[in-house]
Amino acid sequence: MNYPVWDLAFLGSGLVVAIIATIHIFISHFAIGGGIFLWVAEWWSGREPDGAKIREWLHKYATFFLIYTTVFGAMTGVGIWFAIQLASAEGTSLLIHQFVFVWASEWVLFLGELTVLYLYYYGWKTNSPRLQLWLAGLYALISWGSLFAINGILTFMLTPGDWNTQNLDIAAGFFNPGFWPSLFIRTLVMILLGGLGGMVIASRIENEELKEKTIRFCVKFVIPAAILTPFFAVWYWTVLPASASKLIEGGVVGVGGGRMEAITAYFLTAVVAGAMIVLASTVVYLKPKALTMMTAIAIFLIGMTGITGAEFVREMARKPFVIHGVLYSNSLWKNKAADPDYLAQPYLEKAKWHPSEMPSSLERGEWLFRLQCISCHTRDGYRAMKKRTASWSGNFGVKWFERMHEQGVMPPFEGSLEDRAALTEYLLSLHGKKENAADILKAVEAELNAEKTKMILQEAGRVPDAIPPEIPDNPEAVKDVPADENGMDVQKDNKEVLQ
Amino acid sequence: MDDRFVPVPKEAEDRLPPESSASGKLLRYLLRRLPVWPLIAFFAKKKVPQHKHSAWYTLGGIAMFFFMVQVITGVLLMIYYNPGSPWQSVQRIVMEIPFGGLIRSIHHWSANLMILTLCLHMFSTFFMKAYRPPREITWLTGLALFGITLTLGFSGYLLPWDDLSFFATRIGISEMDKIPIIGPWMGGILRGGPDVTVETIGRFYPLHVVVLPLALIGILGLHLLLIQVQGVSEPDSFRALPEEKKKYHKFFSEFLFAEIPIWLFMMGILVLLSAMFPRGLMPEADPGSAAPEGIKPEWYFMVPFQMLKIFPGALEFVGMVIMGLLPLAFVAVPFIDRNVPEDARGRLVARAGIAVVLVAVAFTIWGWLS
Repeated sequence: MNYPVWDLAFLGSGLVVAIIATIHIFISHFAIGGGIFLWVAEWWSGREPDGAKIREWLHKYATFFLIYTTVFGAMTGVGIWFAIQLASAEGTSLLIHQFVFVWASEWVLFLGELTVLYLYYYGWKTNSPRLQLWLAGLYALISWGSLFAINGILTFMLTPGDWNTQNLDIAAGFFNPGFWPSLFIRTLVMILLGGLGGMVIASRIENEELKEKTIRFCVKFVIPAAILTPFFAVWYWTVLPASASKLIEGGVVGVGGGRMEAITAYFLTAVVAGAMIVLASTVVYLKPKALTMMTAIAIFLIGMTGITGAEFVREMARKPFVIHGVLYSNSLWKNKAADPDYLAQPYLEKAKWHPSEMPSSLERGEWLFRLQCISCHTRDGYRAMKKRTASWSGNFGVKWFERMHEQGVMPPFEGSLEDRAALTEYLLSLHGKKENAADILKAVEAELNAEKTKMILQEAGRVPDAIPPEIPDNPEAVKDVPADENGMDVQKDNKEVLQ
Repeated sequence: MDDRFVPVPKEAEDRLPPESSASGKLLRYLLRRLPVWPLIAFFAKKKVPQHKHSAWYTLGGIAMFFFMVQVITGVLLMIYYNPGSPWQSVQRIVMEIPFGGLIRSIHHWSANLMILTLCLHMFSTFFMKAYRPPREITWLTGLALFGITLTLGFSGYLLPWDDLSFFATRIGISEMDKIPIIGPWMGGILRGGPDVTVETIGRFYPLHVVVLPLALIGILGLHLLLIQVQGVSEPDSFRALPEEKKKYHKFFSEFLFAEIPIWLFMMGILVLLSAMFPRGLMPEADPGSAAPEGIKPEWYFMVPFQMLKIFPGALEFVGMVIMGLLPLAFVAVPFIDRNVPEDARGRLVARAGIAVVLVAVAFTIWGWLS
């Protein structure tokens, strides 16, 4: 709440981060896996009698590799910085401050990686084979080192382990429980991509015998990696926070109704992609000569679908946090959220970035929406609030904000009872419904039975004996409260849109 | 040798693995019992020309792959689908059955991609002029397959019995009512009465799960057999090449091995699309209520939808005539454009084809945006 917001229509800032980051992962993983592949292939070409021909193919690979990884890798890498600091300035700030030394190492490694790659590529004709082999090895090592560094920060966000805001233990945060399984998974996926990239280039080889030999060489990277990855995924699974694995296992009942199967489905996407790659590579191994470039690219793209699925699972499993158990996605710190008095303070008085004068509650509602919702939701695009609030009434909204964190995928709402009413007013206005926040509050007070009203008013810091005597005792009115035995189901009846 | 068994033909002996190997033994064991070598030789003949447009040859196979996915996911959906309480059973599939929502989404996406692939397949054979004699019948069976697939899309759309499917079907059939003389009669048969009711599901369901798939499989068999017998069509530019420059891939031992990984890629795409954009379920159909605002057909019916929209009121018959003549024009194509190499008439047909593609794309985008 201490930073400006990025109010991005339709996509929402979170999805923009996801899109840029996923593309960056496609490229960066190939950049490292391809490095390992180049190194092994250099060594292999030195042992084969037709090594010179193999190196022709390898040169094409290196050309593609250089352009693809350095140009697009660097662009998307910087793009991530642009996007994340706008989407969650608070989270970005924490990552920078905690891991200054790691970022510095990452930067040095990145520079080293580029330098060695240029020495390798542009020395193709002049360097001795021995030097080329060393440079390729050095590139593989340095680029893998950059994975080692960033992997600690990435996994920290989902499994911070023994790190907390009191001890600020960098080593515990870096070598967190997710560090090693994630490092192995990513290394394997990289090796797999290196082999798949090799297949794409090898599909164009004219000499049939060489084509067969080279493609079989590439497949030997792909199949073992694809088979081993799930084992490390199981290891990763065991270190996930309980709430995260629960999300993946069952999905949850979302606000719009319907089982939110997305996370399960993304998980399956990764699993199916792995299986498809094994099958496709087996087919290729059996008839390498038949491999066309189109087919090779298709197999490479299966790898991309799998990565997309796996990365979405990892991101979604972190809900409702940016740093699991530390910082919520609406930039609320968990330790502050533990204090009900802090949560119930009027929000806009604490937040810095909004107009100073906001006479109407609708305007306040919109600013509450910008400051607390748009890091994940949009009005009518990705994770649309318009769809999610289609069946809302005023008093339902007010009650929902009080209890939404109980279902496990939403952070607590930060703000007073009036804030909740103002935000509800704004969300209802998306449907063209005009309900004033003051009227909503009145409706809440009037419709709840005496006991419920008392509870809400107490939590809002109001005097309980302010209940007007004319309130009818109407237990029916609370049937909208979002809780069933799981505390998850907010579906009122079957007529809601399922998604 | 015992005369109950058939001898292994000499051509087969030349190509089989050595008799000492396990596969060699098994194959000889089978061939002595089943005299199918001529059949194998017949299928082994199929070859695919290699040229810069070869990528288009993969489309028919991809469409067939989507059809296989449709059959498998369709059977899985049938386990829980109940035409007596359609909406409730689909809701149960989405909400309660493990992976039910995913299977349903895959069925949805595979249907869409199958139709898209067929459009591309149809136009690629059109522009490569594969329909010319002697391959008219292959073209006609292909058109029939496309028609059946669209009908499968239309009939399957109603089955969830939600608001969207109900009104889309009601509007779709009411357009049919407007066809002179036979229209109301056909509409009545399809609906099972004057309006779309659960009776209509009683008709659409067997159509969707038995009649149309069986028809599709039968005609597809004929379509494939014709290609096997006549060989894959070669574009004029390839035919003009000297013999030694013509390169081919054997279908069963090479082409298929490049095709299967593409199918597997499509499987990955299907799961990814289903994960990112799962098929939703609207509220249960309420025939008494007003149609939801801005209701539109699926993209593959957008062309006739827009066509009828731009001719309002009394002029509507113009749109209907155009949409009625279009399939007939496609049927007539191989009888109009007959000559190899391409002559003036052939060039005219190709240009007309480009015009149809442009209009279809424009109408689809227009309909989608408006």
